[in-house]
Amino acid sequence: MGEIRNHGDHPEEEEDDHHINLPKKPKLSSFLTQSQIHHEFAHHQLGVARINNGSFGSCPASIIAAQKRWQLKFLQQPDDFFFNQLPAQILRSRTLIKDLINADDVSEVSIVDNATTAAAIVLQHVGWAFAEGRFNKGDAVVMLHCAFQAVKKSIEAYVTRAGGSVIVVHLPFPVNSNEEIISEFKLGLAKGKLNGRKVRLAIIDHITSMPSVIIPVRELVQICREEGVNQVFVDAAHSVGSIPVDVKNIGADFYVSNLHKWFFCPPSVALLYCRKSSLSSDLHHPVVSHEYGNGLAIESAWIGTRDYSSQLLVPEVIDFVNRFEGGIHGIMSKNHEAVIEMAKMLAKSWGTNLGSPPEMCPSMAMVGLPSSLGVLSDNDALNLRNHLREKFSVEVPIHYQPLKDAEVGPRDERCGFITGYARISHQVYNTIDDYLKFRDAVSKLLQDGFSCRMLASREQ
Amino acid sequence: MNHKLSPMDLGSEFSHHDPTVARINNGSFGSCPSSVIQAQQRYQLRFLGQPDDFYFNHLKPSILQSRQAIKTLINASHVDEISIVDNATTAIAIVLQHLMWRFFESKFNPGDTAVMFQYAYGAFKKSVEAYFTRAGGHVIEVKMPFPLTSNDEIIGAFKKALELGKSDNRKVRLAVIDHITSMPSVVIPVKELVKMCRDEGVDCIFVDAAHAVGSIEVDVQEIGADFYTSNLNKWLFCPPSIAFLHCRNIPQVPNLHHPMVSHEYGNGIAMESSWIGTRDYSAQLVVPKALEFINRFEGGLDGIRKWNHQRVTEMAEMLVRVWGTNLGTPLDMCSSMAMVGLPACLGIMSDSDALKLRTRLRDCFKVEVPIYYRQPNDGEVDPVRGYARISHHIYNTVDDYYRLRDAICNLVSSGFTCEVFSRLKEVNRSTVNKFRGVGEDRGGRWAAEIRDPHRKKLRGVGKVKNGVRVQSEVKNGALNNAALTSFDGFECVDVDGVGDAL
Repeated sequence: MGEIRNHGDHPEEEEDDHHINLPKKPKLSSFLTQSQIHHEFAHHQLGVARINNGSFGSCPASIIAAQKRWQLKFLQQPDDFFFNQLPAQILRSRTLIKDLINADDVSEVSIVDNATTAAAIVLQHVGWAFAEGRFNKGDAVVMLHCAFQAVKKSIEAYVTRAGGSVIVVHLPFPVNSNEEIISEFKLGLAKGKLNGRKVRLAIIDHITSMPSVIIPVRELVQICREEGVNQVFVDAAHSVGSIPVDVKNIGADFYVSNLHKWFFCPPSVALLYCRKSSLSSDLHHPVVSHEYGNGLAIESAWIGTRDYSSQLLVPEVIDFVNRFEGGIHGIMSKNHEAVIEMAKMLAKSWGTNLGSPPEMCPSMAMVGLPSSLGVLSDNDALNLRNHLREKFSVEVPIHYQPLKDAEVGPRDERCGFITGYARISHQVYNTIDDYLKFRDAVSKLLQDGFSCRMLASREQ
Repeated sequence: MNHKLSPMDLGSEFSHHDPTVARINNGSFGSCPSSVIQAQQRYQLRFLGQPDDFYFNHLKPSILQSRQAIKTLINASHVDEISIVDNATTAIAIVLQHLMWRFFESKFNPGDTAVMFQYAYGAFKKSVEAYFTRAGGHVIEVKMPFPLTSNDEIIGAFKKALELGKSDNRKVRLAVIDHITSMPSVVIPVKELVKMCRDEGVDCIFVDAAHAVGSIEVDVQEIGADFYTSNLNKWLFCPPSIAFLHCRNIPQVPNLHHPMVSHEYGNGIAMESSWIGTRDYSAQLVVPKALEFINRFEGGLDGIRKWNHQRVTEMAEMLVRVWGTNLGTPLDMCSSMAMVGLPACLGIMSDSDALKLRTRLRDCFKVEVPIYYRQPNDGEVDPVRGYARISHHIYNTVDDYYRLRDAICNLVSSGFTCEVFSRLKEVNRSTVNKFRGVGEDRGGRWAAEIRDPHRKKLRGVGKVKNGVRVQSEVKNGALNNAALTSFDGFECVDVDGVGDAL
């Protein structure tokens, strides 16, 4: 995937062509300076060490401004926008996304709100298959133990409720290599199939959310095929803009990624890729409009009156990332290097560890927290996160990782077991100060003899 | 109308509307004053500023505030009954999915029926097909005449449909009743129809009131349906998009779910709807601000409703007088919209003609108004087949309607008929390919020839008689002949042809 080119970017087109509106291309030939980057994110709340790009993403001021221009067009003359501009602009976004992810055909790319919507689309399709007798009661769906909560609930809502069963595969964490993941997955899948169940769908993360690790999806998809799994759905909510994505190479049937997390789009927009095959024609958007039956991409392009502006900004985002050295690839490498550097700095300062080797980290890293902080439950993790936000203006999600075995597990320099991890993110707006602030916050907590137990008792 | 807002203030609240357009279609996409847009942008900025804090500490209470405002507005008995969703289309998906599961779980039998109006909104018909019919149900359409002279015609037609739905020992599982139909637009006597459904033992009564809130009085307790949905971005000054789903008996439907499943699954439909993954919820948070805006008008929402109804009926009567046609319904069956018959000589013969005429009015006269095609009954002499659905909202002025009046008169006097559309090669506006070419007038028909088929993009501007400049451009492929029209008989400027390679 080389530098992304903006299709149809011919300045002479812009004359009186009011139906295709390209913002003026920046005349700058040099890359964005630090100061300009700072300005682009000046709307971020001052004084907050915002090291959680992974959860809600971020959007630069120039994209927000472009979005406002689209919103205004709708407000000015909504009928004209609906009939003459919207479909063409959505198609433009889809075409650019197709190139971004190396899909074969634009018909394979649908734009939806977020990965949660994509899960509903794919799983509803599975639900119908059970109801209409194409799948038998008891046929299974495979998911990872650490799948995103919305995905787990979607499986409950559409698969379990329809009579399907669920195979849960546990992946190790902390983890040392891809091989560990591959062998655990193989084992888990084989075990799940033991009673002869047919496995209809496997849902695999490309980058797990909590704890965050890059999964060797290509290999896992292959294993699924070898084990006779009908279809594979890759939940890659975090991937576009943080790791290179080649959907043909990965080989899954369905692949979803958010574009508002790491690809600078405003909330919210995601791509859902569906490999061309006879099965994919039966996918429908759960919100049914007059476009029902015209294919998922067309259905998704109109689901009733709403604000579609966030879906129209892919061309502007591509312009934006090309103002960085190396374009999106440059951004991805820099983010990755920076987050690893910061993770190592924190781990060293606290005497802890990284949850995975650097090559398994995208633009996020799991950094072990000192054991004395006492993160011993999901509640502790959430309380600590809130405490860091309220008392230290540090925004970072905390993960509780139970020990697999009471006596075995990673230890910190004081020999306590590490059960809490911070998921630190790095995006172009972050500076080293953000991580130093976090480091110092934890040091202060340690100094004060803090433990999560104190927050729990306060709640009571 | 007396309002505390001066005409100048009002103008500035809607100054983002294209001033050259006679915007008489508030019904389709609604409208939103600047002060509400600004309030929305403030919420958007707060999220962008610190999304985690917004999500954990502010989003839920703000949504609750909006729900409470809605509860009061529609006289619901408890805020738990109110869920906020994107639009009415989402609301029906929620209820239909619930019914679909009842088929799957064998609580409904194959062949059980649903009753809905022939004029039900297109998306609703598709939704019923996607969930109810696909799961084994059968749909009975209420054949309602149009034009209408009284509520009795509607009530009679509905009764017939219910009887048909119950015939052969079938159960009517669902009735979808519009409060105000979309096309053609008519105010339906919902209270009577809901009572009829109750008396006939219909399982689930769903009222599609997309247009209702802000244009007619809404009291959900009085109406008594099981589910009631209305958009707030049409007539209640909210930005796109926001609607609510009211569920009368919330404890009796624990298995009502939003199709987009998040971690809130199982916490009740209102909670589920309040978080369906990361997205921009700001449109859902400005209901209190919209109500504040409304209360700057004398009589508040009531005053606005009465004013809009009065003006739209005045304008409708003016138009039928000038055109010599008729209204689609009596005035008391109009809301803030009215169906005005178009002169028969325009020759609107199909839905396609109606859409093309609408496009023509937009492109050549800058008048935005949806057109409805009605199939005449056998034996009708010189029937009125086309109706304009005119809307009136507080930003409209009489000039908007004079422009429509004059546009139609212009078309009539120049001998225009929709027949000209069939002389056009099919131009499909929904694809991205624009084609431009150099053209020559060939006696009313205009052909563009792209001279260089080897280049990917070929450009040229065509000029024709009558001041029409038609442009077409080819992308991604060669185009040998693009046939476009000159529009015989009247002035038109800057018509862009958009279409496929032929």
